[in-house]
Amino acid sequence: MSRLHDMGGRFGDGLIPLPRDAENEVTNFEPTFKYKWHAKAWAITLAAGALGEWNLDISRHYRECLPPKDYINFSYYEKWLAALTNLLIDKELISLNELKEYVFAAEKGTLRKFSDKDVKLDQRTWLAKDVQKTLGWGGPSIRDTNVSPVFNIGDKVITQNYSPNKDISGGHTRLPKYAMGRVGVIHSYNNNHVFPDKNAHGLGENPLPLYTVEFKSSELWGELAESQNDSILLDLWEPYLKLFPN
Amino acid sequence: MSEKKNITDDHHHQHDHAHSHLPSDPELRVKAVETLLLNKGLIDSKTLDELIDTYENRIGPKNGAKVVAKAWVDPEYKKRLLNDATSAIRELSYQGRQGENMVVVENTPETHNVIVCTLCSCYPWPVLGIPPTWYKSDEYRSRTVREPRKVLLEFGLPLDPKVQIKVWDSTAEIRYLVLPMRPKGTENMNENELAELVTRNSMIGTGLPKEIK
Repeated sequence: MSRLHDMGGRFGDGLIPLPRDAENEVTNFEPTFKYKWHAKAWAITLAAGALGEWNLDISRHYRECLPPKDYINFSYYEKWLAALTNLLIDKELISLNELKEYVFAAEKGTLRKFSDKDVKLDQRTWLAKDVQKTLGWGGPSIRDTNVSPVFNIGDKVITQNYSPNKDISGGHTRLPKYAMGRVGVIHSYNNNHVFPDKNAHGLGENPLPLYTVEFKSSELWGELAESQNDSILLDLWEPYLKLFPN
Repeated sequence: MSEKKNITDDHHHQHDHAHSHLPSDPELRVKAVETLLLNKGLIDSKTLDELIDTYENRIGPKNGAKVVAKAWVDPEYKKRLLNDATSAIRELSYQGRQGENMVVVENTPETHNVIVCTLCSCYPWPVLGIPPTWYKSDEYRSRTVREPRKVLLEFGLPLDPKVQIKVWDSTAEIRYLVLPMRPKGTENMNENELAELVTRNSMIGTGLPKEIK
Protein backbone atom coordinates (compact mmCIF):
# COMPACT_ATOMS: atom_id res chain seq x y z
CA MET A 1 0.00 0.00 0.00
CA SER A 2 1.40 3.30 -0.97
CA ARG A 3 0.76 6.67 -2.56
CA LEU A 4 1.38 8.04 -6.02
CA HIS A 5 4.64 9.73 -5.16
CA ASP A 6 6.12 6.29 -4.51
CA MET A 7 6.73 5.59 -8.20
CA GLY A 8 10.02 3.68 -8.30
CA GLY A 9 9.77 0.85 -10.84
CA ARG A 10 6.35 1.85 -12.15
CA PHE A 11 5.53 1.06 -15.80
CA GLY A 12 4.20 3.49 -18.35
CA ASP A 13 6.54 6.46 -18.13
CA GLY A 14 8.15 7.53 -21.37
CA LEU A 15 11.47 9.06 -22.31
CA ILE A 16 13.38 11.17 -19.78
CA PRO A 17 12.54 14.85 -20.58
CA LEU A 18 16.09 15.99 -21.30
CA PRO A 19 16.96 19.52 -22.34
CA ARG A 20 18.03 19.64 -25.98
CA ASP A 21 19.83 22.21 -28.08
CA ALA A 22 18.76 23.57 -31.48
CA GLU A 23 20.13 20.41 -33.16
CA ASN A 24 18.06 18.27 -30.77
CA GLU A 25 21.20 17.03 -29.04
CA VAL A 26 21.04 16.44 -25.30
CA THR A 27 22.68 19.29 -23.43
CA ASN A 28 23.87 19.61 -19.87
CA PHE A 29 22.54 23.11 -19.52
CA GLU A 30 19.22 24.11 -18.05
CA PRO A 31 18.41 27.32 -16.15
CA THR A 32 18.10 26.88 -12.38
CA PHE A 33 14.48 28.02 -12.57
CA LYS A 34 12.71 27.84 -15.91
CA TYR A 35 10.11 30.46 -15.00
CA LYS A 36 10.09 33.25 -12.46
CA TRP A 37 7.10 31.65 -10.73
CA HIS A 38 9.09 28.43 -10.22
CA ALA A 39 11.72 30.42 -8.35
CA LYS A 40 9.02 32.20 -6.34
CA ALA A 41 7.13 29.01 -5.43
CA TRP A 42 10.41 27.45 -4.30
CA ALA A 43 11.57 30.51 -2.35
CA ILE A 44 8.28 31.17 -0.53
CA THR A 45 8.19 27.50 0.47
CA LEU A 46 11.65 27.79 2.03
CA ALA A 47 10.87 31.13 3.64
CA ALA A 48 7.54 29.93 5.07
CA GLY A 49 9.24 26.76 6.34
CA ALA A 50 11.68 28.95 8.25
CA LEU A 51 8.79 30.23 10.39
CA GLY A 52 9.24 26.98 12.30
CA GLU A 53 5.62 25.84 12.24
CA TRP A 54 6.47 22.54 10.56
CA ASN A 55 9.48 20.37 9.83
CA LEU A 56 10.78 19.13 6.48
CA ASP A 57 9.16 15.71 6.93
CA ILE A 58 5.76 17.31 7.45
CA SER A 59 6.12 19.41 4.31
CA ARG A 60 7.22 16.36 2.30
CA HIS A 61 4.21 14.47 3.55
CA TYR A 62 1.86 17.29 2.60
CA ARG A 63 3.08 17.02 -0.99
CA GLU A 64 2.54 13.28 -0.91
CA CYS A 65 -0.98 13.79 0.46
CA LEU A 66 -2.21 15.83 -2.48
CA PRO A 67 -5.20 14.06 -4.03
CA PRO A 68 -3.97 11.57 -6.68
CA LYS A 69 -5.57 13.51 -9.53
CA ASP A 70 -3.76 16.69 -8.51
CA TYR A 71 -0.49 14.90 -7.82
CA ILE A 72 -0.52 13.53 -11.37
CA ASN A 73 -1.61 16.72 -13.08
CA PHE A 74 0.45 19.27 -11.19
CA SER A 75 3.94 20.15 -12.33
CA TYR A 76 6.70 20.00 -9.74
CA TYR A 77 6.40 23.50 -8.32
CA GLU A 78 2.60 23.40 -8.50
CA LYS A 79 2.83 20.50 -6.05
CA TRP A 80 5.05 22.56 -3.80
CA LEU A 81 2.67 25.49 -3.88
CA ALA A 82 -0.46 23.41 -3.27
CA ALA A 83 1.14 21.63 -0.31
CA LEU A 84 2.38 24.94 1.07
CA THR A 85 -1.10 26.44 0.81
CA ASN A 86 -2.63 23.52 2.70
CA LEU A 87 0.07 23.80 5.38
CA LEU A 88 -0.43 27.55 5.78
CA ILE A 89 -4.15 26.99 6.37
CA ASP A 90 -3.75 23.96 8.65
CA LYS A 91 -1.14 25.73 10.78
CA GLU A 92 -3.38 28.83 10.84
CA LEU A 93 -0.78 31.18 9.41
CA ILE A 94 -3.41 32.29 6.92
CA SER A 95 -7.19 31.81 6.88
CA LEU A 96 -9.26 30.39 4.07
CA ASN A 97 -11.08 33.72 3.80
CA GLU A 98 -7.82 35.60 3.39
CA LEU A 99 -6.73 33.13 0.74
CA LYS A 100 -10.01 33.51 -1.16
CA GLU A 101 -9.74 37.28 -0.96
CA TYR A 102 -6.21 37.27 -2.43
CA VAL A 103 -7.11 34.73 -5.09
CA PHE A 104 -10.09 36.85 -6.10
CA ALA A 105 -7.88 39.94 -6.32
CA ALA A 106 -5.22 38.06 -8.28
CA GLU A 107 -7.79 36.96 -10.83
CA LYS A 108 -9.27 40.46 -11.06
CA GLY A 109 -5.83 41.97 -11.43
CA THR A 110 -6.28 44.08 -8.30
CA LEU A 111 -3.72 42.35 -6.10
CA ARG A 112 -1.88 44.96 -4.09
CA LYS A 113 1.36 44.52 -2.20
CA PHE A 114 1.60 46.84 0.80
CA SER A 115 4.59 49.14 0.95
CA ASP A 116 7.31 47.97 3.31
CA LYS A 117 6.52 50.62 5.91
CA ASP A 118 2.95 49.34 6.16
CA VAL A 119 4.04 45.79 6.92
CA LYS A 120 5.03 44.68 10.38
CA LEU A 121 7.32 41.69 10.06
CA ASP A 122 6.43 38.73 12.24
CA GLN A 123 9.05 37.92 14.88
CA ARG A 124 9.65 34.53 13.25
CA THR A 125 10.14 35.92 9.74
CA TRP A 126 13.37 34.87 8.04
CA LEU A 127 15.46 37.94 7.28
CA ALA A 128 17.74 38.32 4.25
CA LYS A 129 20.75 38.95 6.50
CA ASP A 130 20.31 35.50 8.04
CA VAL A 131 19.87 33.55 4.81
CA GLN A 132 23.49 32.45 4.25
CA LYS A 133 23.96 31.52 7.89
CA THR A 134 20.79 29.41 7.98
CA LEU A 135 21.55 27.71 4.65
CA GLY A 136 25.08 26.91 5.79
CA TRP A 137 23.71 25.41 8.92
CA GLY A 138 21.13 23.27 7.15
CA GLY A 139 18.89 20.94 9.08
CA PRO A 140 21.04 18.11 10.40
CA SER A 141 18.99 14.99 11.13
CA ILE A 142 21.66 13.08 13.04
CA ARG A 143 20.96 12.89 16.77
CA ASP A 144 23.35 11.95 19.50
CA THR A 145 21.53 9.10 21.21
CA ASN A 146 22.60 5.97 23.02
CA VAL A 147 20.66 3.75 20.61
CA SER A 148 23.00 1.05 19.27
CA PRO A 149 22.43 -0.49 15.85
CA VAL A 150 20.98 -3.99 15.94
CA PHE A 151 22.35 -5.09 12.57
CA ASN A 152 25.93 -5.58 11.45
CA ILE A 153 27.46 -4.90 8.08
CA GLY A 154 26.91 -7.98 5.91
CA ASP A 155 23.73 -9.08 7.72
CA LYS A 156 20.98 -10.35 5.47
CA VAL A 157 17.74 -8.49 6.17
CA ILE A 158 14.18 -8.52 4.87
CA THR A 159 12.15 -5.33 4.61
CA GLN A 160 8.69 -4.77 6.02
CA ASN A 161 5.81 -5.61 3.78
CA TYR A 162 2.60 -3.63 3.19
CA SER A 163 2.48 -0.61 5.43
CA PRO A 164 5.75 0.33 7.11
CA ASN A 165 4.33 3.24 9.15
CA LYS A 166 3.11 1.54 12.30
CA ASP A 167 1.45 4.59 13.84
CA ILE A 168 -0.56 6.07 11.01
CA SER A 169 -2.39 4.27 8.22
CA GLY A 170 -1.17 5.77 4.97
CA GLY A 171 1.40 7.71 6.95
CA HIS A 172 4.75 8.97 5.76
CA THR A 173 7.51 6.43 5.20
CA ARG A 174 10.82 6.23 3.36
CA LEU A 175 10.60 2.56 2.48
CA PRO A 176 9.59 2.58 -1.19
CA LYS A 177 6.97 0.10 -2.28
CA TYR A 178 9.28 -1.58 -4.80
CA ALA A 179 11.59 -2.63 -1.97
CA MET A 180 8.94 -3.89 0.46
CA GLY A 181 9.25 -7.52 1.54
CA ARG A 182 12.60 -7.90 -0.23
CA VAL A 183 15.88 -9.35 0.96
CA GLY A 184 19.03 -7.26 0.99
CA VAL A 185 22.37 -6.98 2.75
CA ILE A 186 23.47 -4.29 5.20
CA HIS A 187 26.09 -2.26 3.34
CA SER A 188 26.76 0.37 6.02
CA TYR A 189 25.45 1.93 9.21
CA ASN A 190 25.10 5.70 9.03
CA ASN A 191 24.41 6.92 12.54
CA ASN A 192 21.07 7.62 14.17
CA HIS A 193 18.73 9.97 12.36
CA VAL A 194 15.36 11.54 13.11
CA PHE A 195 12.73 8.97 12.11
CA PRO A 196 10.51 10.56 9.45
CA ASP A 197 7.65 8.08 9.94
CA LYS A 198 7.02 9.76 13.30
CA ASN A 199 8.43 13.22 12.70
CA ALA A 200 6.18 13.81 9.66
CA HIS A 201 3.18 13.46 11.96
CA GLY A 202 4.39 15.54 14.87
CA LEU A 203 5.00 12.41 16.94
CA GLY A 204 8.53 13.37 17.95
CA GLU A 205 11.95 12.84 16.45
CA ASN A 206 12.57 9.33 17.77
CA PRO A 207 16.08 9.05 16.23
CA LEU A 208 16.93 5.52 15.07
CA PRO A 209 19.75 3.74 13.25
CA LEU A 210 19.88 4.39 9.51
CA TYR A 211 21.48 1.77 7.26
CA THR A 212 22.34 1.59 3.61
CA VAL A 213 20.98 -1.71 2.32
CA GLU A 214 22.03 -3.26 -0.97
CA PHE A 215 19.49 -5.20 -3.04
CA LYS A 216 20.32 -7.28 -6.07
CA SER A 217 18.48 -5.99 -9.09
CA SER A 218 17.10 -9.50 -9.64
CA GLU A 219 15.69 -9.55 -6.07
CA LEU A 220 13.65 -6.47 -6.88
CA TRP A 221 12.71 -7.08 -10.51
CA GLY A 222 13.06 -10.82 -11.02
CA GLU A 223 13.42 -11.77 -14.66
CA LEU A 224 12.95 -8.15 -15.71
CA ALA A 225 16.29 -7.18 -14.17
CA GLU A 226 18.57 -5.75 -16.85
CA SER A 227 21.63 -7.46 -15.40
CA GLN A 228 22.29 -9.99 -12.66
CA ASN A 229 25.22 -7.86 -11.52
CA ASP A 230 23.41 -4.61 -10.93
CA SER A 231 22.19 -3.50 -7.55
CA ILE A 232 20.05 -0.83 -5.91
CA LEU A 233 21.06 0.74 -2.62
CA LEU A 234 18.55 2.30 -0.25
CA ASP A 235 18.93 4.15 3.04
CA LEU A 236 16.53 2.49 5.46
CA TRP A 237 15.72 2.97 9.12
CA GLU A 238 15.95 0.04 11.49
CA PRO A 239 12.19 -0.50 11.98
CA TYR A 240 11.85 -1.24 8.24
CA LEU A 241 14.15 -4.25 8.61
CA LYS A 242 14.18 -7.73 10.11
CA LEU A 243 17.01 -10.20 10.19
CA PHE A 244 16.51 -12.71 7.38
CA PRO A 245 17.13 -16.27 8.59
CA ASN A 246 19.97 -17.82 6.61
CA MET B 1 -10.00 -4.28 12.75
CA SER B 2 -7.20 -5.67 14.82
CA GLU B 3 -5.85 -3.89 17.84
CA LYS B 4 -3.42 -2.04 15.65
CA LYS B 5 -3.90 1.65 16.04
CA ASN B 6 -5.74 2.91 13.04
CA ILE B 7 -5.26 6.62 13.03
CA THR B 8 -5.92 7.54 9.46
CA ASP B 9 -3.85 10.19 7.89
CA ASP B 10 -6.74 12.57 7.61
CA HIS B 11 -5.39 16.05 8.05
CA HIS B 12 -6.92 16.87 4.71
CA HIS B 13 -10.27 15.32 5.45
CA GLN B 14 -11.15 17.82 8.12
CA HIS B 15 -11.78 20.49 5.55
CA ASP B 16 -11.86 20.65 1.80
CA HIS B 17 -8.48 21.06 0.16
CA ALA B 18 -7.44 24.65 0.59
CA HIS B 19 -5.28 24.45 -2.53
CA SER B 20 -8.39 23.80 -4.66
CA HIS B 21 -9.31 27.47 -4.18
CA LEU B 22 -6.19 28.63 -6.00
CA PRO B 23 -6.42 30.12 -9.52
CA SER B 24 -5.81 27.79 -12.46
CA ASP B 25 -2.92 29.86 -13.78
CA PRO B 26 0.11 28.82 -11.69
CA GLU B 27 1.70 32.23 -12.04
CA LEU B 28 -1.35 33.91 -10.49
CA ARG B 29 -1.49 31.19 -7.87
CA VAL B 30 2.05 31.97 -6.69
CA LYS B 31 1.38 35.69 -6.87
CA ALA B 32 -1.69 35.40 -4.63
CA VAL B 33 0.04 33.33 -1.95
CA GLU B 34 3.24 35.35 -2.11
CA THR B 35 1.42 38.69 -1.75
CA LEU B 36 -0.67 37.42 1.13
CA LEU B 37 2.41 36.22 3.01
CA LEU B 38 4.29 39.45 2.29
CA ASN B 39 1.42 41.64 3.46
CA LYS B 40 1.09 39.59 6.64
CA GLY B 41 4.82 40.05 7.29
CA LEU B 42 5.40 36.29 7.31
CA ILE B 43 7.97 36.45 4.54
CA ASP B 44 10.28 39.23 3.38
CA SER B 45 10.84 39.94 -0.31
CA LYS B 46 14.55 40.62 0.27
CA THR B 47 14.88 37.10 1.67
CA LEU B 48 13.24 35.64 -1.44
CA ASP B 49 15.63 37.61 -3.66
CA GLU B 50 18.63 36.47 -1.62
CA LEU B 51 17.55 32.82 -1.81
CA ILE B 52 16.94 32.89 -5.55
CA ASP B 53 20.19 34.75 -6.24
CA THR B 54 22.14 32.27 -4.12
CA TYR B 55 21.03 29.24 -6.10
CA GLU B 56 20.93 30.95 -9.49
CA ASN B 57 24.39 32.46 -9.20
CA ARG B 58 26.43 31.10 -6.32
CA ILE B 59 25.58 27.48 -5.48
CA GLY B 60 25.58 24.99 -8.33
CA PRO B 61 27.47 22.19 -10.10
CA LYS B 62 30.64 24.31 -10.26
CA ASN B 63 31.04 23.56 -6.56
CA GLY B 64 30.83 19.83 -7.11
CA ALA B 65 33.24 20.10 -10.05
CA LYS B 66 35.86 21.64 -7.75
CA VAL B 67 35.44 18.77 -5.30
CA VAL B 68 35.89 16.21 -8.08
CA ALA B 69 38.90 17.96 -9.61
CA LYS B 70 40.60 18.18 -6.21
CA ALA B 71 40.03 14.47 -5.66
CA TRP B 72 41.60 13.75 -9.07
CA VAL B 73 44.83 15.61 -8.29
CA ASP B 74 45.16 14.99 -4.56
CA PRO B 75 45.11 11.33 -3.45
CA GLU B 76 44.98 12.26 0.23
CA TYR B 77 41.94 14.47 -0.37
CA LYS B 78 40.29 11.69 -2.35
CA LYS B 79 40.82 9.33 0.58
CA ARG B 80 39.19 11.80 2.97
CA LEU B 81 36.36 12.41 0.49
CA LEU B 82 35.50 8.73 0.18
CA ASN B 83 35.87 8.21 3.90
CA ASP B 84 33.94 11.23 5.21
CA ALA B 85 32.51 13.25 2.35
CA THR B 86 30.68 15.79 4.51
CA SER B 87 33.92 16.93 6.19
CA ALA B 88 36.01 16.78 3.02
CA ILE B 89 33.47 18.87 1.13
CA ARG B 90 33.32 21.33 4.01
CA GLU B 91 37.07 21.87 3.54
CA LEU B 92 36.07 23.73 0.36
CA SER B 93 33.41 25.67 2.32
CA TYR B 94 30.49 23.81 0.75
CA GLN B 95 28.05 22.73 3.42
CA GLY B 96 24.57 23.04 4.84
CA ARG B 97 21.06 22.66 3.56
CA GLN B 98 20.48 19.35 1.75
CA GLY B 99 24.13 18.43 2.12
CA GLU B 100 24.25 17.74 5.84
CA ASN B 101 25.21 14.08 5.33
CA MET B 102 27.18 13.55 2.15
CA VAL B 103 28.45 10.31 0.70
CA VAL B 104 30.68 10.22 -2.39
CA VAL B 105 30.61 7.06 -4.51
CA GLU B 106 33.47 6.36 -6.87
CA ASN B 107 33.14 5.17 -10.45
CA THR B 108 35.73 2.58 -11.47
CA PRO B 109 36.26 0.49 -14.61
CA GLU B 110 34.12 -2.18 -12.91
CA THR B 111 31.37 -0.09 -11.27
CA HIS B 112 29.20 2.79 -12.43
CA ASN B 113 27.09 4.70 -9.90
CA VAL B 114 23.82 6.54 -10.58
CA ILE B 115 21.81 8.69 -8.18
CA VAL B 116 18.02 9.03 -8.09
CA CYS B 117 15.31 9.86 -5.58
CA THR B 118 12.19 7.82 -6.35
CA LEU B 119 10.03 9.37 -3.61
CA CYS B 120 10.67 13.04 -4.30
CA SER B 121 13.73 14.92 -5.56
CA CYS B 122 16.45 14.65 -2.90
CA TYR B 123 19.68 16.12 -4.26
CA PRO B 124 22.93 17.48 -2.78
CA TRP B 125 22.27 21.22 -2.95
CA PRO B 126 25.63 22.58 -1.64
CA VAL B 127 27.57 20.83 -4.42
CA LEU B 128 25.05 20.62 -7.27
CA GLY B 129 22.47 23.34 -6.56
CA ILE B 130 18.80 22.87 -7.42
CA PRO B 131 18.03 19.67 -9.37
CA PRO B 132 17.32 19.92 -13.11
CA THR B 133 13.81 19.25 -14.39
CA TRP B 134 14.61 15.77 -15.66
CA TYR B 135 15.89 14.69 -12.23
CA LYS B 136 12.52 15.66 -10.74
CA SER B 137 10.51 14.05 -13.55
CA ASP B 138 8.26 11.03 -13.09
CA GLU B 139 10.13 9.34 -15.94
CA TYR B 140 13.52 9.51 -14.25
CA ARG B 141 12.13 8.65 -10.82
CA SER B 142 10.12 5.64 -11.93
CA ARG B 143 12.48 4.10 -14.48
CA THR B 144 16.00 4.54 -13.12
CA VAL B 145 15.71 1.89 -10.41
CA ARG B 146 14.18 -0.70 -12.76
CA GLU B 147 15.99 -0.08 -16.03
CA PRO B 148 19.07 2.06 -15.38
CA ARG B 149 20.79 0.86 -18.56
CA LYS B 150 17.95 2.00 -20.80
CA VAL B 151 17.81 5.31 -18.96
CA LEU B 152 21.57 5.88 -19.31
CA LEU B 153 21.33 5.11 -23.01
CA GLU B 154 18.87 8.00 -23.36
CA PHE B 155 21.54 10.22 -21.81
CA GLY B 156 23.92 8.99 -24.50
CA LEU B 157 25.79 6.74 -22.11
CA PRO B 158 25.89 3.10 -23.25
CA LEU B 159 27.44 0.89 -20.57
CA ASP B 160 29.38 -2.30 -21.12
CA PRO B 161 27.29 -5.25 -19.86
CA LYS B 162 30.30 -6.28 -17.75
CA VAL B 163 30.21 -3.04 -15.79
CA GLN B 164 28.13 -3.27 -12.63
CA ILE B 165 25.58 -0.50 -12.08
CA LYS B 166 24.83 0.64 -8.59
CA VAL B 167 21.73 2.80 -8.31
CA TRP B 168 21.56 4.85 -5.11
CA ASP B 169 17.95 5.74 -4.33
CA SER B 170 18.47 8.65 -1.95
CA THR B 171 15.14 8.59 -0.17
CA ALA B 172 16.47 9.21 3.36
CA GLU B 173 18.84 11.84 4.79
CA ILE B 174 22.03 10.98 2.92
CA ARG B 175 22.87 12.91 -0.22
CA TYR B 176 25.11 11.37 -2.84
CA LEU B 177 27.69 12.68 -5.27
CA VAL B 178 29.35 10.51 -7.92
CA LEU B 179 33.12 10.78 -8.30
CA PRO B 180 33.55 10.12 -12.03
CA MET B 181 36.73 8.63 -13.50
CA ARG B 182 39.35 11.13 -14.62
CA PRO B 183 39.38 11.29 -18.43
CA LYS B 184 42.39 9.90 -20.26
CA GLY B 185 44.98 12.34 -21.54
CA THR B 186 44.48 14.88 -18.77
CA GLU B 187 47.74 14.15 -16.92
CA ASN B 188 49.13 17.62 -17.58
CA MET B 189 46.03 19.54 -16.63
CA ASN B 190 45.79 21.46 -13.37
CA GLU B 191 42.90 21.44 -10.91
CA ASN B 192 41.09 24.43 -12.43
CA GLU B 193 41.36 23.05 -15.96
CA LEU B 194 40.12 19.67 -14.76
CA ALA B 195 37.13 21.23 -13.00
CA GLU B 196 36.01 22.58 -16.38
CA LEU B 197 35.65 19.01 -17.63
CA VAL B 198 33.34 17.93 -14.81
CA THR B 199 29.71 18.14 -15.90
CA ARG B 200 26.70 18.12 -13.62
CA ASN B 201 25.46 14.86 -15.13
CA SER B 202 28.81 13.18 -14.52
CA MET B 203 28.32 13.83 -10.80
CA ILE B 204 24.82 12.28 -10.85
CA GLY B 205 26.03 9.33 -12.90
CA THR B 206 23.98 10.10 -16.00
CA GLY B 207 26.98 11.39 -17.91
CA LEU B 208 30.76 11.36 -18.12
CA PRO B 209 33.23 14.22 -17.80
CA LYS B 210 34.02 16.04 -21.05
CA GLU B 211 36.70 14.42 -23.18
CA ILE B 212 39.66 16.53 -24.17
CA LYS B 213 39.98 17.14 -27.86
